[in-house]
Amino acid sequence: MSFPQTLLVSIFLFVGIQAFSQSDQKISGTVVDVINSEPLIGANVYWEGQVGSGTITDLEGNFRLQMTTLPAKLVISFLGYEKSIRVIQPKEAEKPMKFFLKPEELSLQEIIIQERRPDEQVKNLEIGKSSVAIETIKNIPALFGEVDLLRSLQLLPGVQTAGEGTTGLFVRGGSADQNLVQLDGAPVYNASHFFGVFSVFNPDALKKVDLYKGNMPSQFGGRASSLIDVSLREGGKDQIHGEGGIGTISSRLTLDGPLFGKNSSFIVSARRTYADLFLKLSSDPNLNNNKLNFHDLSGKFSFILGQKDKLSLSTYQGSDFLGLDNQFGLGWTNWVSALNWNRVSSETSFFDLQAYHSRYQYRVDFEDRDNGFEWTNSLSESGIKASWTRVLKESTNLNWGVHSQVYHFAPTELIPAPDSPIRRINTRAVQGVLSNLFLGVTHDFSPKLSTEAGLRWGLFNQLGEGLQYLYPNGLPTPDAEPIDSVAFSNLKSMKFYQGLEPRLAFRYLVNPEFSVKLAFNRNFQYVQIASNSSAGLPIDRWILAGNYTPPIRSDQISLGLFHNFQSNKWEVSLEGYYKDLDNVIDLRNGAQVLFTDRVETEILSGRGWAYGLEFMLRKNVGKTTGWLAYTWSRAWRQIDGISQNQPYNPRFDRPHDVTLVLNHEFSPTWTAGLTMVYTTGQAVSFPVGSYVMDNQTVPLYSDFRNENRFPAYHRMDASVTWKNPDKGRKWRGSWNFGVYNLYGRKNPFSYEFRTIFNNDINFSSSDGAIVSARPGVVMTYLFTFLPSLTYNFQF
Amino acid sequence: MRAIWLIVFGSIVLFSCQEEVFLPLNENESGTPVIEAMWTDQGIYNEVKISLSNNYYDSLDYRVVNDAEVFIKVERTGRIIPFRYLDGSKSYRPTNPSERARVGERYQLNVNMRGSTYQSSGIMLEAPTVDSVTWKFEEKRLFRDEGYYIKVYGKIPFTENNNYRIRVIENDTLKNQRDDYLLFDDTFGLRFFEEGLELGYTFQEKDQVRLELYRLNKDAYDYLNQLVNLLFNDGGLFSPPPQNPESNIKVVSGKSKVLGYFVVSPVLSRSVIIQAKYD
Repeated sequence: MSFPQTLLVSIFLFVGIQAFSQSDQKISGTVVDVINSEPLIGANVYWEGQVGSGTITDLEGNFRLQMTTLPAKLVISFLGYEKSIRVIQPKEAEKPMKFFLKPEELSLQEIIIQERRPDEQVKNLEIGKSSVAIETIKNIPALFGEVDLLRSLQLLPGVQTAGEGTTGLFVRGGSADQNLVQLDGAPVYNASHFFGVFSVFNPDALKKVDLYKGNMPSQFGGRASSLIDVSLREGGKDQIHGEGGIGTISSRLTLDGPLFGKNSSFIVSARRTYADLFLKLSSDPNLNNNKLNFHDLSGKFSFILGQKDKLSLSTYQGSDFLGLDNQFGLGWTNWVSALNWNRVSSETSFFDLQAYHSRYQYRVDFEDRDNGFEWTNSLSESGIKASWTRVLKESTNLNWGVHSQVYHFAPTELIPAPDSPIRRINTRAVQGVLSNLFLGVTHDFSPKLSTEAGLRWGLFNQLGEGLQYLYPNGLPTPDAEPIDSVAFSNLKSMKFYQGLEPRLAFRYLVNPEFSVKLAFNRNFQYVQIASNSSAGLPIDRWILAGNYTPPIRSDQISLGLFHNFQSNKWEVSLEGYYKDLDNVIDLRNGAQVLFTDRVETEILSGRGWAYGLEFMLRKNVGKTTGWLAYTWSRAWRQIDGISQNQPYNPRFDRPHDVTLVLNHEFSPTWTAGLTMVYTTGQAVSFPVGSYVMDNQTVPLYSDFRNENRFPAYHRMDASVTWKNPDKGRKWRGSWNFGVYNLYGRKNPFSYEFRTIFNNDINFSSSDGAIVSARPGVVMTYLFTFLPSLTYNFQF
Repeated sequence: MRAIWLIVFGSIVLFSCQEEVFLPLNENESGTPVIEAMWTDQGIYNEVKISLSNNYYDSLDYRVVNDAEVFIKVERTGRIIPFRYLDGSKSYRPTNPSERARVGERYQLNVNMRGSTYQSSGIMLEAPTVDSVTWKFEEKRLFRDEGYYIKVYGKIPFTENNNYRIRVIENDTLKNQRDDYLLFDDTFGLRFFEEGLELGYTFQEKDQVRLELYRLNKDAYDYLNQLVNLLFNDGGLFSPPPQNPESNIKVVSGKSKVLGYFVVSPVLSRSVIIQAKYD
């Protein structure tokens, strides 16, 4: 403690002694930091309105203060901490009290922003990369009050959504399976719960998320469009803390703290929905016998091993379950684990080793004596990645390494009930190994001109045991029976691909507040989903590159202008890109891909391209924060066998996209969030007529795909958060009230073109005789004016 | 798979609302020829219906084409089986009503209309065996209402071309809503046919039910499957982009598009009356 502080403490202690002498009735207590329980020395303690007769805490954080007429408000304040005001009741005053002061809220936000320097967007080499602080994501008004990482990313420029309420991301014209979602370096194959409505990440357990949609450093790869790099946070090293929330449809709890002393820590987090509890309240037996829930469990255990080494183990397990009448069940589970070892060999040399395993599985059960079955499938990816970083001199960094991935796509198994006459189905397993070597260099040619050059070399082998079918003229069509097949023994190479993925980026600093960046990026993707719906299903079939399905190739060139002003308070950027995709796939009309070993007969392949301009104005500091983004973009596909072989827009092609995200702090207790979204409607096909076939009216479609549009999509969400005024207690709570779709816009989820019987869109054949039938259009819409209430807490 | 889709959609419906709307449509394909041709081993089913497509909202106005030239050619012999238009059925029927398909022959459908020629072909396959049809009262089950259920027992001894359809006519009314289609192949084996294939609908006592079993060529079976998928397509995110079923009828000359399909199939039919005392 410095001399002036000591003097100050002494003076106040003296004053305290004087006060003590005036009366025998005193209250006593201790003031500590809520984060680490360290005593706060010199904190002001006084009865409200009686500052002059107050006291300050001593070297142990203790105080004694003359009693007043109770109940009365006791105020405790300390520089850099939130003021605490607690009403003291006569009973409380009888024994010593403990007060926990919390560092001011802005400090937390600033810590996160400090990870990213204020002038980062202008100075760094990153183009097409977005980082969003978890605290920012938590302040965005959320559907059902469930703070959602992936849905928040949809508010960034260049990221499209397939439709209302889904977390699937379509980045710069890429499909949803072209995004690599990884948690602490391990891939997550199905990053959504409840058929895509929620993402699997519990925000309380997260540290940060980085979205790479343009230039990707050479140490990352494997997907054609983007990398969503999610990091779990580490536990505190001082004492155990908790955080959680009780929401409209789920509750969550996170605990963190030291594990074995100060050199290790843990964080464990859990979340579970209780939608099925509401279903049980229904008097309708069709509903109350059903189950609908999901849960997440995640944990991270970190160990500091000496001065140079750090080890961390991260794991996540999440499941969904839908059950009907105790007879039908559909469940799916992700289990992801990653072990990371970071070594600081010297001030200029670093080594990272990572090993991970990710497994996704689903299961469908149907209990029925005639048609019952158990249907299961799973896939896994295991990998090991070693990377070395060397700072050669101040202006040059070198990064190199190797990344090996082993894919195992297990057989799809359908096991009928014991007495069922249904045939058992067992498809063949598929395996592959992808080994990547990567090298990257960043170099500052001058203070103005910097470059990042990288090369990733992927070597992919589809491995036996397996069977490869041969078709007439080498063309696998649905009608083509294989003319032969070749059996491959275990670990025998069935098909080999290799590809070089160059990455190159330049940054030219025009002045300290303005830069121009240019990047070229190539990626190969060796796994993809064989599906033709826009939203993912838990039973989607993933396929590996093979004899008839070469890897997707993606080339992207991007150019960006970046400008900060008012001392980096404001950021503005304008980015343009052109992306070229090859070997993208779609499915034939009526394709069945789930129970076949000859998926290639159901697949069509072709090319795609996308281009766009993304504008973003962002404010990161101050009482009001947020961003305004506008994207103009187009996405195209051209696949033989679809749309008369002509280019067409995929459903997620939405040329205009405007997003406004605002957060305002009115006072330490009141904050509010507002989100507005406007996008062009989805590209879809509407009928161009109808005809009668097989005694019924059938809508007639054009041969050209997606020539129509849904109406424009727009919506406003708002939320207010009220934090309990700080009473110096360890338990801190806040209430969040939000409304999704504030003005109740009926954004269409679907238009169904069908015959309407008896002028009733809900008519079914069991409702009685059909007296009239006419063609009609039935619009389904979701989530109009959906309020939610969440109680969040920390301790 | 369709059941999974229904469950997904059903779950979403928990949070959804529906209403009927009017959408302006680009209805520029009115007048596309639609051919629905059946060639079987039973004369009563043999007919070719030809119509034109309509604007979507006018679809109840069925526009029949009655001036086409229609014939079927036996590919092996080249023999022509002519058809003529009958006002009563609004369809083309063989000029000689005793003509019918014979097992093993390949038949070619020919339609000449308004300057265009359309062609398709299919092979007449051997019929499976239907041994018996029974019915039983069943309590309510998951995905099944309470009522009488019919089971069909038979034998399918074939190792290929196993593509079947069962049509159900209940009290003279064809069950033809999208839930009513009963199509099956050998993906899950065919033992269930020997052990009794339960039809997925309930019947009431005294219902008169006629069953018709068709063994289809693969292209006609695929057409019907795609038709049912289209009827179930709700236009949402979980549905594939809607497409017309792929016709097995080719345009030989003239207008570049034709809708519909040509079926060559044996037909096995059985009729029962649901009676409680035999339950």
